[in-house]
Amino acid sequence: MAPTPPTWRLDNESVGEPGSSLHGVTGHEPTFLPTIDPVHEHDDQPGAPPTDLKGRPFKLPVDSEHKAKTVRIWTIHRPHMLAFHLSWFSFMVCFFSTFAAPPLMPVIRENLNLDKIDIGNAGVASVAGAVVSRVLMGTICDLLGPRFGASSLMLITAPAVFCMSLVTDPTGFVLVRFFIGFCLATFVSCQFWMSSMFNTKVVGIANGTAAGWGNMGGGIVQLVMPGVFHIIRHNIGSNDFTAWRIAFFIPGVIQVFVGIVVLIFGQDLPDGNYSELKRKGDKVNDSFKKVFLYAVTNYRMYIFALTYGYCFGVELTIDNIIAQYFYDRFDLNLTTAGTVAASFGLMNLFSRPLGGVLSDLAAARWGMRGRLWCSWTIQTLGGISCIILGVVGQLGPAIVVLLLFSFFVQAACGTTFGIIPFISRRSLGIISGATGAGGNVGAVVTQAIFFLNSSYPTERGILYMGIMIVCCTLPVCFVYFPQWGSMFCGPSKSVTEADYYKSEWNKDEQSRGLHKASMKFAENAKSERGSQHGSIAAKEGLEDANTKGETAV
Amino acid sequence: MSPMKIGFVLSLALLALVSVAEGGVSFKSLNRTLTVQAKIQASNATSGLAHVGTDHLVISWAFNSSFAGKDADYVNVKIRLCYAPVSQTDRGWRKTKDDLHKDKTCSKGIAKQKYVATGNTTTWRITKDVPGAIYFVRVYAVDALGTQLAFGQTTDKNKTTNLFEIVPISGRHASVDVAAAVFSVFSVGSLMGFLSLEAIKQRKLNGKAGQ
Repeated sequence: MAPTPPTWRLDNESVGEPGSSLHGVTGHEPTFLPTIDPVHEHDDQPGAPPTDLKGRPFKLPVDSEHKAKTVRIWTIHRPHMLAFHLSWFSFMVCFFSTFAAPPLMPVIRENLNLDKIDIGNAGVASVAGAVVSRVLMGTICDLLGPRFGASSLMLITAPAVFCMSLVTDPTGFVLVRFFIGFCLATFVSCQFWMSSMFNTKVVGIANGTAAGWGNMGGGIVQLVMPGVFHIIRHNIGSNDFTAWRIAFFIPGVIQVFVGIVVLIFGQDLPDGNYSELKRKGDKVNDSFKKVFLYAVTNYRMYIFALTYGYCFGVELTIDNIIAQYFYDRFDLNLTTAGTVAASFGLMNLFSRPLGGVLSDLAAARWGMRGRLWCSWTIQTLGGISCIILGVVGQLGPAIVVLLLFSFFVQAACGTTFGIIPFISRRSLGIISGATGAGGNVGAVVTQAIFFLNSSYPTERGILYMGIMIVCCTLPVCFVYFPQWGSMFCGPSKSVTEADYYKSEWNKDEQSRGLHKASMKFAENAKSERGSQHGSIAAKEGLEDANTKGETAV
Repeated sequence: MSPMKIGFVLSLALLALVSVAEGGVSFKSLNRTLTVQAKIQASNATSGLAHVGTDHLVISWAFNSSFAGKDADYVNVKIRLCYAPVSQTDRGWRKTKDDLHKDKTCSKGIAKQKYVATGNTTTWRITKDVPGAIYFVRVYAVDALGTQLAFGQTTDKNKTTNLFEIVPISGRHASVDVAAAVFSVFSVGSLMGFLSLEAIKQRKLNGKAGQ
């Protein structure tokens, strides 16, 4: 008889429930939940290593939900580390396909007779599709699992990549870039998969590293595509206008290959795939209306959607325009311009994870106020370096400024997701999803305003974009958490974390005890008071809850 | 060495390599001392359009004797294909600038010949990398270092007369089209295949569990 499936969800979430798809995205959800039915505790033999449904022992230390407690990056232990590598690699491949056209733009624009407006429209289209697809991917991950979500998205959008070889006019170019752009929703499946596989103490690092390495695809492509183009031109002898079309088979074939690999080797959960595990019914414990209401009435969601639009959105914009910018302004050849452009995206190897680390360090010392200052400072420095980039006219300094700019912009993405989990506990999923979508909206708006206009050159557009980054980061000053304060105000003495998170549940729901998980989170969140106030209280809270958790087992 | 350090060293090296930008010759300062004509030699003579890859441009140039004596320093001529203003709109990468170092009007080179006062002719088969646009031909007289001294062009001062259109290749190829179709079908097909395999497996498991 098959063992009963694990309830790996929180007690007031269930399949398909809004918010559950981004559970664990930020790694600050509490690990101790005595109300969870710890099925595996019963199945695991005492003293024996924990095993999955098929009786194979896990190679990594796991917790009671069989989520890994460490991230061993240099291994591919199944299922956790294999999921990690499949996850970031599939996200990277999608970034690669979405931004495969920009490094070859000097050739493509001549072949398809594109003008600046067409190129701008295509850039907008490439990031616009993901605004919708990221929101949909959350639900797909909940219902079908991240493995199906990622692989089916990649296999369905791969034909769009191949269709790029058939395009002959600007309209076709814009349409194809639009359809390819849908695959950027693999961000959601990547983060969801990490939060299913990794314990909350390490899921922050797992998510940040996976997202950062995935974003690197936007940098790697700027190196690879010109290289492939040159090989096809010189070694195979095709004309320019045919060579770039053949070059597009590289991202297409890789995307198909990785999609199939994810389907074959991927596993949704530590114990198996969704289809293998029987689920315990579809009890919907929370109402979509309520979760949606608490998200849209929380002004902080809008502020962070805006600011994420001006760090991640700017990153997407730069991926689209920078190779052409260096080609045109500094008269570099295609390969050199691609190399310079690549350096921007490749900084993601450490910039984004470092942003998260800096946010955590600031929080350890100064609490949430530290996180807010960290986020504002890093993003504003990004804006200032963008302004300088638009002004610099010599190649050497421009490259230096570009590298600085890339660090700040990518670290700002990391710091934003250090704050997001604390905005709401009940509506975490929707707020995280809205922030992610806000990133793409920022890219759409920025490209539409500054890079579609042919009345001023690209460097002026970059200057204006820098000014806009600085302006759109100012709203962070207005983010106020009653229990922790804001950048300029201290906390209110009468409001605690528990009050803040309890306010999302009305009296009736509280009487039914639906708010208990939020209360556990509130206890954990006392760490956001900073070292002067919170650490002792937080430790006590953690220890209490831990002992409660153990006795409940 | 951390990536930041590598980037910094690289940028310093690049900075050292990049020489101080010198201003180029100003186009306005050049005299139009050459006369230039260009004719399309097309296999399909009636069309008036030049097709890339098959048609030729026959360009003949000569020194305008009314500027007698000004050609003392001319060593070579550079014949270039230039974009007409209508093909430059909204395309900053083809922009006309007075500083000839920065000017991008005539980015395609046709030929380089030795300067002779009586002039010369060249026949150029239009290469396949030429984009579709409206063009004219300009000939620069240069000295031994390649600095422009004078010019001549097939069109008038405002670049509105005597322009010709070049029809490009699409770049598409039947084999590329077929490969794209095959891979696309494979991609969607393999997804459908896997989904149906999983559905069949699931049904079998459900069937077994039901028994």
